[in-house]
Amino acid sequence: MNSWVELAWLVPVLPLASAVAIASFGKNLPGKGSEIGVLTLVAAFVVSIGIAWETFSAGTPEPFERAVDWSPLGGGFVFELGMLVDGLTAMMFLLVTTVSLMVHIYSREYMKGEPRFTYFYAMLSLFTFSMLVLVISNNTLQAVIGWELVGLCSYLLIGFYWEEKSNQDAANKAFLTTKFGDVGLVVGVIVLSAGMFGTGTSTPFNIQETNAAAMAGELSTGTIVLGMLLIFLGCVSKSGQMPLHVWLPDAMAGPTPVSALIHAATMVTAGIFLLARLFPVLAQSATVMAVIAIVGVITLFFGGLLALVQDDLKKVLAYSTVSQLGYMIAAIGVGGYTASIFHLFTHGFFKALLFLGAGSLIHAVHSNNMSDMGGMRRAMPHTFWTFIVGSLALAGFPLTAGFFSKDEILIAGDLWAGQGFATGSLVYWVGLAAAFVTTFYMARACFLIFAGENRSHHAPHESGPQMVGPLMLLAVLSIASGYLLSPFSSQEFNFENWTATPFVEDATYPFLDAGTAAGGDTVVAAASSLTLAAEGGEFSILHGVPTWHPDLLAIVLALFSIAVFLAWRFYGKGLPERDPTLQMGAFSRVLVAKYGFDDFGYRFVVVPVRDTFAKWASWSSNVVLDGIVASVGRGTKTAAMTTYRVLDQRVIDGGVNGAAFSAAWWSNRLKRIQSGDVQRYAGALVAGTIVLILAFAAAR
Amino acid sequence: MSLTGPLLLATFLFCVGVYGVIARRNAVLVLMSIELMLISVNINLVAFQNLLFPTEVAVSGHLFALFIVGVAAAEAGVGLAIIFNMFRNRASVNVDDVDLMRW
Repeated sequence: MNSWVELAWLVPVLPLASAVAIASFGKNLPGKGSEIGVLTLVAAFVVSIGIAWETFSAGTPEPFERAVDWSPLGGGFVFELGMLVDGLTAMMFLLVTTVSLMVHIYSREYMKGEPRFTYFYAMLSLFTFSMLVLVISNNTLQAVIGWELVGLCSYLLIGFYWEEKSNQDAANKAFLTTKFGDVGLVVGVIVLSAGMFGTGTSTPFNIQETNAAAMAGELSTGTIVLGMLLIFLGCVSKSGQMPLHVWLPDAMAGPTPVSALIHAATMVTAGIFLLARLFPVLAQSATVMAVIAIVGVITLFFGGLLALVQDDLKKVLAYSTVSQLGYMIAAIGVGGYTASIFHLFTHGFFKALLFLGAGSLIHAVHSNNMSDMGGMRRAMPHTFWTFIVGSLALAGFPLTAGFFSKDEILIAGDLWAGQGFATGSLVYWVGLAAAFVTTFYMARACFLIFAGENRSHHAPHESGPQMVGPLMLLAVLSIASGYLLSPFSSQEFNFENWTATPFVEDATYPFLDAGTAAGGDTVVAAASSLTLAAEGGEFSILHGVPTWHPDLLAIVLALFSIAVFLAWRFYGKGLPERDPTLQMGAFSRVLVAKYGFDDFGYRFVVVPVRDTFAKWASWSSNVVLDGIVASVGRGTKTAAMTTYRVLDQRVIDGGVNGAAFSAAWWSNRLKRIQSGDVQRYAGALVAGTIVLILAFAAAR
Repeated sequence: MSLTGPLLLATFLFCVGVYGVIARRNAVLVLMSIELMLISVNINLVAFQNLLFPTEVAVSGHLFALFIVGVAAAEAGVGLAIIFNMFRNRASVNVDDVDLMRW
């Protein structure tokens, strides 16, 4: 029955096996290990398809949980190692394996001839494995393990071209920035589990039990607010939310396929995924949701603005990722669980497409800068139309995947506003404004790249089939994936039913109790606010596909047209002498300076740590710790010498030698009895006999 | 007849034999002293048979004495053979000279 779902453990294990196999003997194979990576990813992809189909066709699938006890924690508590497979897991499996497979195939051509080609493939597979560990885990502790592995692999891949100092710095920056948030994550997990200790469970880290306990009100408000805000800090750093987004644009130092993997599937989605997993917990607190929504709104708008002034194509895409992640976070904050992960799903495809397309362009012109491109439409027709499809999806052009998912986020915000939350209106209006910005910078990028004359110093030509193939497949997915939850979708089998776990379905917002609905009844709002719209404000029905919103459609189309028209005016004829986005005085200066986050971080974090804290750390290490270590060493040495001289030399050796010497001394004296004189023996015999006779006589 | 006479005789002969074995240096005389000790035992056996168990049909005391005489003859033969070999190797029959089996 559940044949595919039971095989879910294979999905992370296969890339791990692939990484190990590539690292051990990949170099000796004709494809230098890339074929192992591609084949195992195909296998993992097939299993993911099976799981996705099985869960999708089940309507709302029951979560499938299996776990083994890994180690006891003491006090009857157990740390599990397990898998939790529901629609959310299946969706992430499908996304991660698809994008990872595409990246594996694409890199065969893109990375051809690189030194460390085999190492690159091993790391790609390990990266995929790490993310899948996080996705499959049924407890938060295992999720932390996957989370940290993701951080490690991203560090290794961002610093792949480690010969250049700037790339090492970028890798260090990414690692340390995300590590800062990881501290919050770990502490948050501990806080939540500490709350769970009180409920009498033996597995305090279990996600389902945590969700159930939170919904049953067994966790105190303090635990939920503190725990979820700390976990959200981890998500802020990992998912590139302001102000910890600074590592994400620098992460472009890695090879472009890695950027695709990081930005679409494996790394930045981790934070959104974890928030979605723990959605029933964070839905208990209006404070937590407001914080999440505000951080998301700030990021989605100000992150998007930064993309306006970039010349480096990859940085444009990086800031657009920051912005889109802001949308997802904001959607979580306004109760749009389905909207958020639906956007995560569609964004994964079109952002992977855009990055791989960017890689194809960079491969052709040997430069990241859009000022070195131009006129690529004729030279690279396939890259052109796939990139345009990706850009349309990212800009939310109607009938693309990005349109359906982004509009759901806006509608979620609108509905939240209808419940009396200001954050809802914020998400709606700022989201619309940011959609305009998104359209403008993507149109700018497209015109700069594809229109006008070729400004590169190379004769660009279309990439080979292994690069173009994934682009085309992802282009199809960038449109098709949106129809899983659109007005055309089936009422029973759609994305929402697929990913809505029973917990999420039953998730309530206790702070809505004072409710606005009929007669002050307890309002039970569905995680999917879409339904609310479809049903005109009734709260009874939980499911439903979205309906058309003509007003929103009109606004979106109008904004789209204006943005594209403006971009065409400025950039339609190639690179302008004076780029208008750089000619807006203080506004441009602020954007070029990236709001001063990097500067601030350098001046108030890097410099103090490097110049002051590092000295103290060095002093404490060299003087205090080394002193302690050295004195312990000296003490041990003295004790050992004393032991040697007294115990070993005197007592033990003396005993052994003394035994030998006394044996020799005595034997020298006793051997004289053995004289060889037979008559002495006879005399002794007689004497002995007499003694015995006398003894027996006396005994009588 | 009293048992005292033969026992005293046997004791005397045994003591002479022991003295000879311990004190004489000549190996042949040592051998002869051993014969003396054996003979003293034979005297005891015959005396006990005749005086204490005169009616025993099997006369085991006498038979035992005869055996000892036979064994003594064989022992003397072997002993003399050893002494001959000793003499051929060492040109001496002095027991003090054969102390090879010492420390």
